Amino acid sequence: MGAVILLGAGASWVIQKANSSYEIPILKPVPVFSFINQDGDSFTDKDLNNKITVLDFIFTSCPGPCPIMTQNMTGLYKDFDQVEEVQFVSITVDPDVDTQGILKQYAKINGVKDDRWQFITSSIEAIKDLKKNGFMLYAEELPRGHAIKFVLIDQNGQIRKYFDGTEEASMAVLRKDITNLVKEFKS
Amino acid sequence: MKPFRTFAYLSTGLTYLLIFIGGLVRVAGAGMGCPDWPKCFGRWIPPTSLDQLPVYIDPAQFNIVLAWIEYCNRVFGTLVGVTITITLILGLKNYASLPRIRWPIIAAFVLTLVEGWLGSVLVNTLLNPITITLHLFLALIIVMLLLYTSQQAYYLDNPNSEKLSRYPSHIQWIFGCLALSLFVEVILGTEIRGGLEMIRKENPIVDSQFLLDMLGPFKYIHTVLGFIITGLSGMVWYYLVKKSINPSSIVVQSSTAILLLILVQIVLGEILVFFRVIPLVQLFHLWIASWILGLVCVQYSAWKRSQIAHE
Repeated sequence: MGAVILLGAGASWVIQKANSSYEIPILKPVPVFSFINQDGDSFTDKDLNNKITVLDFIFTSCPGPCPIMTQNMTGLYKDFDQVEEVQFVSITVDPDVDTQGILKQYAKINGVKDDRWQFITSSIEAIKDLKKNGFMLYAEELPRGHAIKFVLIDQNGQIRKYFDGTEEASMAVLRKDITNLVKEFKS
Repeated sequence: MKPFRTFAYLSTGLTYLLIFIGGLVRVAGAGMGCPDWPKCFGRWIPPTSLDQLPVYIDPAQFNIVLAWIEYCNRVFGTLVGVTITITLILGLKNYASLPRIRWPIIAAFVLTLVEGWLGSVLVNTLLNPITITLHLFLALIIVMLLLYTSQQAYYLDNPNSEKLSRYPSHIQWIFGCLALSLFVEVILGTEIRGGLEMIRKENPIVDSQFLLDMLGPFKYIHTVLGFIITGLSGMVWYYLVKKSINPSSIVVQSSTAILLLILVQIVLGEILVFFRVIPLVQLFHLWIASWILGLVCVQYSAWKRSQIAHE
């Protein structure tokens, strides 16, 4: 009997370890911000609440990594189209060029049909500040010097993990992590 | 105790432990912890950090905890394989002329090799559900063969055992029905589990109670068959313990243990259905089923020995 209890305790420990190996750390909260989206509606940090968000920084005329990032984001946007708890946010790092109209057109070109994926903008100073101090990402020499990370944010507005937005393998992990966060949110 | 008997017992015990560990790998979701076979991430000892991964392996597959769980399963499997091989050598060296020792241990050894190969197939087919069930099925057959071998080894040292006991002779059919029901019950159970995992994979968001509801008919057949098994085991107990003359302690103890374990199984099964699908409970539910199957095998061998002695 003692041996069985010991086995049970051991197994329980292993199962717990296995479960926690899927857990995603809580890094820091997203600070307060107030931007507007491609339709001219306000988008603030409050809009991150009760949603699992994947966020990136791009600019529409970017020749380098942005098309790959946006292509990866489009893949996620399509994959999770049945899961209303998941949303996507792209922040422009070139607000002078990326006007509301341009962002709207960019959304359309990339097949965005609903508000699950929003493109937001503000003044260059506010964007730089949010990127650098809010998301701890490189924000010098914008727009060209922008980071290529996807940021995963949970339903409480907490930053959970960073992913390389240009890498397929990284996207596989992100998909799994989004699913786990949605599960965690629902339970 | 003679070395052969010691190793026969050891092989049986370790194989039961391996069935437990195998079940643990399953409930921990570590089946693909190592994406290659026999190596783990291209190494004989799994990596402890991302930098150690070979370039051809996708880093997204790496989870250090799952890799080590699966690796322990493989190492333990190898240990069991070596123990069975030693048992085979000792058995053939000392008792090659006795068919009741020779054949079961040869069969157990061959099936163990097949089982190892199936392990590689499992990894290559990314845990094909039918292969998983076959992997378990084979493990149950191997452990029953080892139990049979161990029991025969015991009888070699205790030649008078069962010869003074007399059991009713017409109960062969009950054993047949019981063994068959138990196998079907285990397969049904694994199908329920496999079904749950499949639905969960495709609909990661739904909760486990809803999943169980989706499995409706399977769940009820499993429960009904459980009651049939309880009835059949009760009958065997009645004939072997109450309607026999001088039943051996092996028979009395195995018959009583079966009934007790079935009681435990009912409780565990109801917990899974009415409360929540708890991995640890799932694990014990399956492991105890393998014990019941083994004990029925012991019961039958003892009964058979007594029948032959009185022919």
